[in-house]
Amino acid sequence: MSIVQVQGGGGRVASDRTSFVGARVPPEIKAMIKPLNKLDKNTFRKVLKLVVQSLEDEVTYSEFKAIVPTLEDATSEEILGIVFAGLLCLVKCGLRHTTTSLKQQHFKEDLDELGISSELHSDLASCVFGTKRAVLDQQLLTSRPRLPQLSELKWRVDVAISTSVLNRVLEPSILMEMTLSNGQIKVFEVPVSQFHQLRYNVAYVLKQMEDLEKRSILKIQD
Amino acid sequence: MQKERAFSEEEEDKLQSALGVTADDLELIIQTLEFILQQAAYHAAKPQVLSQQLMQIDLQDEKVQPIVEAWSSNAKDIVSQLRQRTIHPKQLEEVKWRLNLQMAQSTRLKMKVPNAMFELSVHDDNSGGREKIRVEFTHEELYGFYNQLETIQKQLDSLS
Repeated sequence: MSIVQVQGGGGRVASDRTSFVGARVPPEIKAMIKPLNKLDKNTFRKVLKLVVQSLEDEVTYSEFKAIVPTLEDATSEEILGIVFAGLLCLVKCGLRHTTTSLKQQHFKEDLDELGISSELHSDLASCVFGTKRAVLDQQLLTSRPRLPQLSELKWRVDVAISTSVLNRVLEPSILMEMTLSNGQIKVFEVPVSQFHQLRYNVAYVLKQMEDLEKRSILKIQD
Repeated sequence: MQKERAFSEEEEDKLQSALGVTADDLELIIQTLEFILQQAAYHAAKPQVLSQQLMQIDLQDEKVQPIVEAWSSNAKDIVSQLRQRTIHPKQLEEVKWRLNLQMAQSTRLKMKVPNAMFELSVHDDNSGGREKIRVEFTHEELYGFYNQLETIQKQLDSLS
């Protein structure tokens, strides 16, 4: 198989930007183009709906299979699978870019370049630029790989009154119970001196973070 | 004041010959002095009171003075050390952090999302080791954490 990208369509001049799918068209998308253009519009919409659903939430195989009998044209499950994989890849590629870096017009141009029938452009564009975008963006953020987050912090402040070695102590200490998002629960004591350290550091990082955000807003938006 | 012995074996040998006492006697002397200081610390005794009470138990004056001196010059350190003594096996020992700006991820390019990673080292007295708690905060999450720490601080402030 040749790795040279074949320009689609009647010798259009390639623009100086890279297509939103990347310099090389992913194989899932390549394989989908032909069956996609032959697909009945209603079938296309049903598959696309499933694609969007799978981005928000898991889609099970039985859900996928369930749409086969509802199709008016007799599309085989195999073809449907190819189209589903291709559309999912295509929409993900679209969502990889911010709305400022990928304009709807360029998106459609790139679809044209890929050889996707122009009838389907507006439906595809509404997946990437439509009302669902905010929800999908949020989903991308929350599903990113990360260290566990602090799900819950319970604490108590104790003042030691007396101990086996001192009749009058009157020394405060803090007990923390941290529940992490990976299910771990950590219980430990924080001496007052360490508490000051922790509080100072958190406040310092928070300030740094705010400064960082202010600065990056000033930078050129890409 | 510690669980360990105050002197090493070698030091005890030297003390023994310097003082001209048997090993058993030296042991008794050390334990008695420790006991006196422990009691002084427990009650946060004033030097004057300690001196009075030591004389009441017929301790020689020349021995009372050095004990009271040792107590009055070290009392502050000893008591503050004992105040810090805790029973909870796990203690926060160190806080490390790192501030990042996320630029991209597999599903999104050109991002600018700050995040802060914290590593809290907790000393575990039972295992003698250190446990590291690593958490990541977004701006919002860190702000929430900060607010909780502020609430704790307010409680501490209200104590003094």
